[in-house]
Amino acid sequence: MNRYDQLIADLRSDYRPQREWCEGRGIFMVIGHFVVGVAGGTWLFSLLHEIRMGLALAFVLAALGGLLHLVNLGRPARAWKMMLQFRRSWISRGFFGLSFFLAGAFLYLVPLFLPGILWSSDSAIASIGNVLAIVGMLTMIGYMGFVYTASKGIPFWNSPLHPALYVAYALRGGIAGLLLTLAATGQEFPSIANLLLQWTAITAVVVVLFGLEIHGALTGGNAAALQSVHEIFAGRVAVYFYGGTLLLGLAIPAWLVWNGLTGPLSVGAVALLALASAFGDFFMKFSTVKAGIYLPLVVPSRRHAAAS
Amino acid sequence: MRLGMVIDLKRCMGCYGCQMSCKVEHGTPPGVLFARVLKREEGHYPTARQILLPVLCNHCSDAPCVDVCPTGASHYAEHGVVDIDPDLCVGCRSCMMACPYNNRYYHAEQQNYFGDEGPTRYEVARTARHQTEVVMKCNFCSDRRAEGKDPACVANCAAKARTFGDLDDPTSTVSQLIKDRSGFTLHPEAGTNPNVYYLAP
Repeated sequence: MNRYDQLIADLRSDYRPQREWCEGRGIFMVIGHFVVGVAGGTWLFSLLHEIRMGLALAFVLAALGGLLHLVNLGRPARAWKMMLQFRRSWISRGFFGLSFFLAGAFLYLVPLFLPGILWSSDSAIASIGNVLAIVGMLTMIGYMGFVYTASKGIPFWNSPLHPALYVAYALRGGIAGLLLTLAATGQEFPSIANLLLQWTAITAVVVVLFGLEIHGALTGGNAAALQSVHEIFAGRVAVYFYGGTLLLGLAIPAWLVWNGLTGPLSVGAVALLALASAFGDFFMKFSTVKAGIYLPLVVPSRRHAAAS
Repeated sequence: MRLGMVIDLKRCMGCYGCQMSCKVEHGTPPGVLFARVLKREEGHYPTARQILLPVLCNHCSDAPCVDVCPTGASHYAEHGVVDIDPDLCVGCRSCMMACPYNNRYYHAEQQNYFGDEGPTRYEVARTARHQTEVVMKCNFCSDRRAEGKDPACVANCAAKARTFGDLDDPTSTVSQLIKDRSGFTLHPEAGTNPNVYYLAP
């Protein structure tokens, strides 16, 4: 079905699905948000555990995320204009956050990877870079959920829990990024059990927040929100949710974490755990975005009119 | 001055005159419908009835599309009309997600109604001027208003179901209609303060 016929069919349906942010070039929006979230979380955990290669991975992921966001735009050459509405638009804030992060992370990483060439790790430039990167990281982790919550046309995304859920995804992605770095570099890490416990705790938070969001949609949501829930559990998104989120993102990593907590994990198993967890997060975000249904225009009745 | 519209659902007969006049006025490409008419059948015989709902951008006073726009392309123009500056739009489509009324369209690529036969002379003259990769919407016919005319959908409504005017003026026809016939808006719970009102059928 071509784009025009698809639109007309959508306009005729009672529940019009949003396609702009998950189909065609719009898929890069979801991938970009996923990658930027993982980048923010990886920077945080790598900073806390002082893993240099993890910081580098976060920088590369953030740069990739920025590029993916540009690909999603209809007019990427005008992207700089997204700095114009910092005071009210979350996308604009995210653009600033990503820019701060990339600039700051660059200043911070140069002396770590090229010591004694341009500036040192204890120089003012590196310190400024560190601060900028942290401000950018916090913005990157925090802004994405608000982008969706501000979308009044899609009731399922309106939940106040959505920003918290995206923060939790970023933290889970951060641990996955750190585990992947450790697996790829073969670096000794004395407390991998601690990381696995942190992964378990954050995953539990993700599950609880997602459960509360679904509960909110089922009990207090309107017809469009209910339809979105239906799409996730029994509709056109169900295969991504059950296969990608539950099996790949939850069951497989949970089994590997259990093995890791009860015995040693091979490098391959750690890498698999990290990748499965991260891709599970992607499918969770993709499912949520693809399940978005526009608020239907209710045909007013006389009673409705009188009430308002 | 706050421009607004009142649509009398008792008068609307679902002729699609507003939809067609809008397309002609703006030369909108395929898949872009600034004004459209929703039709639905409700109930069962012998109490079945057809419900008509003409919709367009509600030019909200608290427009969420303006709030989410990262570049300021979606903005409040003169007299409270919500408009899009295509030169500022980056095509992020966040305004489409923010609109509770589904009245924004993404113009992805140049299209024409006859496919391989190429664009008609009308399409070359009227449709090709629209930028691609940007979002489009109703602007209450700003060009017509500059000439002192009503929007095309209002001027061409055969049933005179549409009235256009100043909502801030309590003596205007639109204000009187809203007051006398309990005009209401769509999705008041969204808190957007729309400037398009409806009169019950």
